[in-house]
Amino acid sequence: MELHILEHSLKVASIAKEGIQVCTHGLIKLAFLPSKTRCKFFSLTETPEDYTIIVDEDGFKELPESEYLSVADATWLALNVVSGGGSATSSQPIGVTKIAKSVIAPLADHNISVFMLSTYQTDFILVRERDLPMVMHTLSSEFTLLRVVNGETVAANSTGVTNGFVKPELVPRPIIHPLSSPSNMFCVTSLDPDTLPSVATLLMDVMFYSGGAKETGGQSEDSGHIRFFSFSLIEGYISLVMDEQTTRRFPNNVLFTSASGELWKMVRIGGQPLGFDECGIVAQISEPLATADIPAYYISTFKFDHALVPEENIQSVIGALRTNESTGQ
Amino acid sequence: MSSGYKPDILWSPHHADRYVICDTELSLYRIGPAGSPETKAGTLPLSEETAATLLAINSDTPYMKCVAWYPKHEPECLLAVGQANGRVVLTSLGQSHNSKCKELVGKEFVPKHARQCNTLAWNPVDSNWLAAGLDKHRADFSVLIWDISSKFSPESVPAEKARLSGDVDSGLLVTKPLYELGQNDACLSLCWLPRDHQKLLLAGMHRNLAIFDLRNTSQKTFVNTKAIQGVTVDPHFPDRVASFFEGQVAIWDLRKFEKPVFTLTEQPKPLTKVAWCPTRMGLLATLTRDSNIIRLYDMQHTPMPFGDEVEPTIIERSVQPCSESIISSFAWHPSAQNRMVVVSPNRVMNDFTVFERISLAWSSTTSLMWACGRHLYECTEDGGQGAAAADKDIATKMRERAQSHYGHDTVQVWRNHVLAGGDDPQLRSLWYTLHFMKQYTENLEQKQQSNKQSLIYSGIKNIVKSSSGTTETRRCWSGSDRQTDVPRYHSEERSLALQLCGWISRGPDIDVEPFLKSLEQEGEWERAAAVALFNLDIRRAIQILNKGASAEKGDLNLNVVAMALSGYTDEKNSLWREMCSSLRLQLKKAHLCIMFAFLTSEPGAFDAVLYESRVAVRDRVAFACMFLNDTQLPRYIDKLTYEMKEAGNLEGILLTGLTKDGVDLMESYVDRTGDVQTASFCMLKGSPGEVLKDPRVQCWIENYRNLLDAWRFWHKRAEFDIHRSKLDPSSKPLPQVFVSCNFCGKSISYSCSAIPHQGRGFSQYGVSGSPTKSKVTSCPGCRKPLPRCALCLMNMGTPVSSCPGTGKADEKADLTRDKKLAQFNNWFTWCHNCRHGGHAGHMLSWFRDHSECPVSACTCKCMQLDTTGNLVPSDSA
Repeated sequence: MELHILEHSLKVASIAKEGIQVCTHGLIKLAFLPSKTRCKFFSLTETPEDYTIIVDEDGFKELPESEYLSVADATWLALNVVSGGGSATSSQPIGVTKIAKSVIAPLADHNISVFMLSTYQTDFILVRERDLPMVMHTLSSEFTLLRVVNGETVAANSTGVTNGFVKPELVPRPIIHPLSSPSNMFCVTSLDPDTLPSVATLLMDVMFYSGGAKETGGQSEDSGHIRFFSFSLIEGYISLVMDEQTTRRFPNNVLFTSASGELWKMVRIGGQPLGFDECGIVAQISEPLATADIPAYYISTFKFDHALVPEENIQSVIGALRTNESTGQ
Repeated sequence: MSSGYKPDILWSPHHADRYVICDTELSLYRIGPAGSPETKAGTLPLSEETAATLLAINSDTPYMKCVAWYPKHEPECLLAVGQANGRVVLTSLGQSHNSKCKELVGKEFVPKHARQCNTLAWNPVDSNWLAAGLDKHRADFSVLIWDISSKFSPESVPAEKARLSGDVDSGLLVTKPLYELGQNDACLSLCWLPRDHQKLLLAGMHRNLAIFDLRNTSQKTFVNTKAIQGVTVDPHFPDRVASFFEGQVAIWDLRKFEKPVFTLTEQPKPLTKVAWCPTRMGLLATLTRDSNIIRLYDMQHTPMPFGDEVEPTIIERSVQPCSESIISSFAWHPSAQNRMVVVSPNRVMNDFTVFERISLAWSSTTSLMWACGRHLYECTEDGGQGAAAADKDIATKMRERAQSHYGHDTVQVWRNHVLAGGDDPQLRSLWYTLHFMKQYTENLEQKQQSNKQSLIYSGIKNIVKSSSGTTETRRCWSGSDRQTDVPRYHSEERSLALQLCGWISRGPDIDVEPFLKSLEQEGEWERAAAVALFNLDIRRAIQILNKGASAEKGDLNLNVVAMALSGYTDEKNSLWREMCSSLRLQLKKAHLCIMFAFLTSEPGAFDAVLYESRVAVRDRVAFACMFLNDTQLPRYIDKLTYEMKEAGNLEGILLTGLTKDGVDLMESYVDRTGDVQTASFCMLKGSPGEVLKDPRVQCWIENYRNLLDAWRFWHKRAEFDIHRSKLDPSSKPLPQVFVSCNFCGKSISYSCSAIPHQGRGFSQYGVSGSPTKSKVTSCPGCRKPLPRCALCLMNMGTPVSSCPGTGKADEKADLTRDKKLAQFNNWFTWCHNCRHGGHAGHMLSWFRDHSECPVSACTCKCMQLDTTGNLVPSDSA
């Protein structure tokens, strides 16, 4: 297995809902006019609370300074696991489940905070730049570490500094944050970049103008709808996460849909904003899923985390997580 | 196809006149001759000769990303289209009544997770297999191999799950691929390997090329590289693959897959298409973005990499199929040689044939060969009898002359001009000059007067300069008492010059009668008359003219001239004189003209004679030697010499002799004609002297020898070398090979010459009973026998190896025996590799039928080791 450390230096920011109009110019440019910027990594996720932006340094320049914009202080690096084209069986679980044991758990054990971004194409594990030596130390036993420099993949030599790293004690990880599961179902999809202009206005509408209509829906626990939409444009690949109703607004054959037409239910983690320092949250969720062999997407936002699991598995997931929760308490 | 909807082009694999342009729709065109009766108004001109007719349009498949044409003959127009959402749709163009086609068209192959389809490839053998390369999706496979004959499987698409696909008619959907390859990566390009149709070469986004074998998909050979776009196999070399990345093309050898065999020079713009020419070996065409040229790389002569050190040679050139427009894509014609159709972004098409490089080779004879494409052209000199000798190429002339032993007649030197064909006045003059020079030297030798000998080859220019003691006479017209008013000059040098001119054979008496007789014999009436007149024998001149007029095919006008001549008067103001001096210019024959010029000119002012260029130099010089005084003569000779040198006229050798001046003259002759043969032979006569040491002369000689070698005139070369070493002993090469005796280690030729050869002649008869007498077949040093011939098992030995000092006293019988033994057939010869050998004749006949050494158990392929062994001389011995 190879772990690629990508060269993007990323910023994680939050834009308050009421301040979105200040930033729309920059966001539209980043999302729909990739040739006008040098940005290679852009992700926008709308939650009921805010808009979370993950963007590289070139893209960050497009955003204005504003009181509505709050930025996490750290610079983040994206890690990407490449299986090296091995021929695993087709029933292999996808998403965070696959890397839960190999990447997420070891990082949690070493108290490294991670920020997850699953896309249609792959999973990105964001770590703070300052944690990189520790990350490399932690993962070098399991992975071939490769660093992307100017588009070239080169072997990243582990700094060799192994002294001073404390061997962590392995403790069971109870789930400590409250979970909720909104009623609407989601679709993880993509589209051909060539067709992006034809649906750009629709996407803008979805991104910026449909929030107000369902003012109250997002806050209701469990049963209610949640307003959740994610768009990312990373190295030329588009990924979209939206609920099923939203997909119906798109013309036929524009969205990439899986042959089986699978749909996903969301598990939302956190009652209070989670902050960026606490570690182990992703591990708490993904480890039970990996044990149960349930595929999942995982999208962290500025305030909360979101896991997407197959609709047919939602009950068993909730069950598994609740068990974990109870044992933890 | 990576950049938007720029049109791409595809040739039909089986119909050489059909192609498809694909951008947002598929358009089928037929290409045909322009202006043919079947062309209608709607045809698009592609070139001056060809035009395209639109046959059908298919716009059923939006979001096309890649297209691949079904490789089998039937169904004819079946196309697989890869779409932006990863689905592969089978579609067709035009009407097909093929039931199989109807069954297949409309079939869709749907990947589990939608993403762009980057590339498609039909299996060349099992044409039901279609490989699709897709973009990356989390954990899904990027290469799906579909079986187009597979039936739709309803259970794999549960109805309620198909709600997002938006397909009403899902009856034609296939969702289960035959094989899945390349997880967790994107596939940017792929191709089937022609050597083994179960093998697939794919290029993934994670910078690797991988070869999968479908019989065991867990095994793969892969190599990390950036060059992962557009993998394509050379149709002529199943192991040679080209792939590209941005502006760089890498050429791979699948047998040595670790690294590219070589990479082509990087282009500043990213490449969009790379394609091997299907009709020509090793020709790769590349196209970069927004470019109006197609770059061609000719790897025709690239040796396949058996050693790492082989540095391939690639000829790079570019073509511009349509002058102003940029090219969106191109496609090689499947069968017409070097032909392609290019298409511009706005769908303007162009039929274009890449003009083949011409390679050209001169043969050592005059023919010229050139190859262009599959054609070989030969151009030879028109060797027919009709071709005038003057029009022949100098190389042809030299070849013919070499065959007729030109230059080798050392006794009758003048005959060499006959050997040269006898039709070149300059050569005739040259060889006569050399002949007279030689004759004179021989005369001197007999008289033991060697003081003049050094002068003789230095030409009339130097002879005249040294002239002294000139006497002046005024002679009467012979046969009349009238005193002439022309003074005639005599000296020893002048008479020598006249001899060299050939007018007189031996001084000091001037007797031109033999010369006149010989001219009469050759029918040179006018020249003879002129010579007679210049010797003040007007009666003889008239007599010659009369004879000429009455001779067979004689010119009756000569009688008229004789009449005019007989009216000669020395009266200054006579009508005769006046008329002759003006009318003589109308005479066509130069000699007649100068006769009257001589008679009508003032004494000492003979320019009309001296500068009459139609008259041979030797006659004018002879005339000058008789009638110009000591001041006029050298001036005239100098002037003439200069003219001759400038013109490279070989007649001037008479003046310059074989001196440095002569080399200068010869230089301008060689510059003008290229005739190194004449130059070599001529200058060899100039021995001994500085002339032969002149680097120019050495250069001519070497060039002539090389020419003979190139013509495979090896015997002629040898003859020339012998001839040369006779005239120039310093050119004799030293012996380079010695044969040493196995027993005593001495050279068998050297030791022979070291011992006195008493009684050798008898020993060769073998009749002498003396055991101490050596035989040719034994070492002259130690008397031990020489090695045996591997074929006849006789001891070898030739009298050639004996010393050259065999006296003249030897019996004639011995000479014939010597000659017999000395024939080439009896020479030693042996292989430098296995050291076996024998008589040259035996070896030659052995290797005519065998390739291996005649010694049993020796497998040495002796003759094949000899690079010149199979060459045959083109001149017979």
